[in-house]
Amino acid sequence: MMRVTEGSASRNALVGLQTQASRLADLQSQLSSGRQITKPSDNPVGTVSALQLRTQLKQNTQYAANGTDGMGWLTTVDNAYSSINSQLQQVRTLVLQGMNTGAASAGSNQALAQQVDAARSGILSEANASYLGRPVFGGTTASSVAFDSTGTYVGDSGTVSRTIDANTNIDINTPGTTPFGPNGNNVFDLLSTISSDLVSNPSALSGDLSALDSRMSAISSDQALSGAKYSRIQSVQTANSSNNIQLQSQLSDLQDIDLANMAVQVSTASASYQAALATTAKISQTSLLDFLR
Amino acid sequence: MTSSFSGLTNALTALNAARYGLDVTGQNISNANTPGYVRQRAELTEAGGVAGVAQLYATQHPDSTVTVSGTTRLNDPVVDMRARSEHGKNGYLQTAAGTMSSVQNLFDEPSSNGLTEQLNNFWNAWATVANNPGDTAARNVVLQQAAGVAGWLNESAASLQSVSDSLAQGATSSVNQINTATGELAQLNGSIAVNNATGHVDNSLLDRRDSLMMSLSDLAGATSTINADGTATVSIGGQTVVSSTTATTVGLDPSNNLLVGGTPAATAGGQLQAQLDGLSTTVPNYQNQLDQVAAALASTVNGAQASGYDLSGNPGAPVFSGSTASTVSVVMTDPSQLAASGTPGGNLDGSVALANSKLGSSASGPNGSYLALIGNLGTEAQRVTQQAGVQQSVTTSVDNLADSSSGVSIDEETTNLLTYQRAYQASSRVLTTVDETLDTLINHTGRAGL
Repeated sequence: MMRVTEGSASRNALVGLQTQASRLADLQSQLSSGRQITKPSDNPVGTVSALQLRTQLKQNTQYAANGTDGMGWLTTVDNAYSSINSQLQQVRTLVLQGMNTGAASAGSNQALAQQVDAARSGILSEANASYLGRPVFGGTTASSVAFDSTGTYVGDSGTVSRTIDANTNIDINTPGTTPFGPNGNNVFDLLSTISSDLVSNPSALSGDLSALDSRMSAISSDQALSGAKYSRIQSVQTANSSNNIQLQSQLSDLQDIDLANMAVQVSTASASYQAALATTAKISQTSLLDFLR
Repeated sequence: MTSSFSGLTNALTALNAARYGLDVTGQNISNANTPGYVRQRAELTEAGGVAGVAQLYATQHPDSTVTVSGTTRLNDPVVDMRARSEHGKNGYLQTAAGTMSSVQNLFDEPSSNGLTEQLNNFWNAWATVANNPGDTAARNVVLQQAAGVAGWLNESAASLQSVSDSLAQGATSSVNQINTATGELAQLNGSIAVNNATGHVDNSLLDRRDSLMMSLSDLAGATSTINADGTATVSIGGQTVVSSTTATTVGLDPSNNLLVGGTPAATAGGQLQAQLDGLSTTVPNYQNQLDQVAAALASTVNGAQASGYDLSGNPGAPVFSGSTASTVSVVMTDPSQLAASGTPGGNLDGSVALANSKLGSSASGPNGSYLALIGNLGTEAQRVTQQAGVQQSVTTSVDNLADSSSGVSIDEETTNLLTYQRAYQASSRVLTTVDETLDTLINHTGRAGL
């Protein structure tokens, strides 16, 4: 039989008490931090997963910001196109008017030409529409306008894109030459031609009209494309936010404590600690000396 | 035929024996809490004495009936040896667990203060630049975040270095303690050998010898053998450090290897070996991994810079200099020099910035290297902590086993106290009885008729 001495009894009691106390302290640190994993050794695999999830969450937040930014850009594009379209519609009406009156009234055609010129400068300013200081039709140009005052394209053919989720990088711009036509044959050149034809060469107007129609259809089709991109970003954003919730719940499962479970564990640990304290105090008080007189 | 007075002498030796028993019991009780004290027992031997009831008076020993033949130390040398070996392992694992825990506390993960979060902020700052390459504010944020990441790496490298420094100090102090203990043990060996030769036994010297051997096991996993003359021979890492009255000095070479008397020793154990392993393996391992993170950061970001063009259309300049965790720093001061564009000409292309913003998920990038570091750290810390826990309970149980033969039990000593007290009382009674008998013989015999 193993002899039990006061020394070994007190050492055992101390080891027991320390085990209970450190368990309680561990639980309390988890409870106060709200985390199951307070250091990597608590759960090495969980720690690595938690760090990866954090990275994904951060990226997701950035994707959402990118998407919102892209939607702002596309809204600017859409507004510009709508305004340009309605102004081109006006020009079309003016051209039809000019064709009907023919050469009969040079004075009234002069007035029509002035209106076309006004529309041209309105369209030029819309074609230079900018988002956060960047001309949206200018490609990646560092210049503040896409078209200079003569209507010449000064932007480049670079693409502007937004990464809206891990695998989707969407181009949100169209360089100005695509909807508005190449330099020398763009919408501004056409409008100048119309303006001068109204005054001096009404017979060319019908040709101008068909050129105007094809230009308008190019602009409309690009507007439709921008709208499609807008709705694509919107749907990805929705998927993104539900993905975010899922990632957050995964992270929370990994690192956050279950409060109810933790409360039960803490009260159990605290009860057994108190029991250990009480028994230790009782036992070490007693010895044979208490019973000898 | 024994002398008429022999009964008195017998009673006296019994009184002496009981008193000696009381003395030893008192010593045990006094030292109940003395560390390293081994309980002792008075050994009483029947001397001559009574051979048989029938010849009670005829064969009584002329001088005494009981003698104190010695005082025995009640330890179990086999268990003690096992306890020393477990203490050596325990010293190693507890210190190793301590080192891992201090390394682990440097990397505050998983939390929002760790490097992962800093790196993610850095990558996201690039995404903002990609969205709006001309925005100086967004570019400034990239440089600020870069400085934050570099600062974090510098601080962690410095903290790791301070862990290493404190391990080195600890190792030096362990070596000093070892040398003090071996010196004292060699001296003790001398006294013990002299005592042994002269037939005098001083148990307190043996207690001191055992506790020195135990502390040498804790410090350096020393293995000890006790020779026939009671002296101890101690070796550390396969080399003898204490033999008879000679103690060989233990030291460290500049690359922190253990030297015994100037000769390299094999791997020892105990606290010292854990400190040396921490210095030569654990800390350099994490320093190295942290350096890999820094190198991955500098090379991926600077590489991307070199492939791109800044706001003025010039090829991108490096953002970071240095490729170790302690030396990495941000060298770029002008945010317009950040290369966001993939084409020359000073345009607002953001393709390089965009590629940078995605580096967070790259396995070969800094995030990947850092994740590997944290994974290794967590696994190793968990393993060492568990081993240390198991070893601690093994050590405690062996200590209890050793204590079960050598520890003082107050209840037992109290019982001994009662036994000796009763023996003393009974012997006194024998003395009184013999005295009264002699009184009858001397004073009341031959007075017939008076």
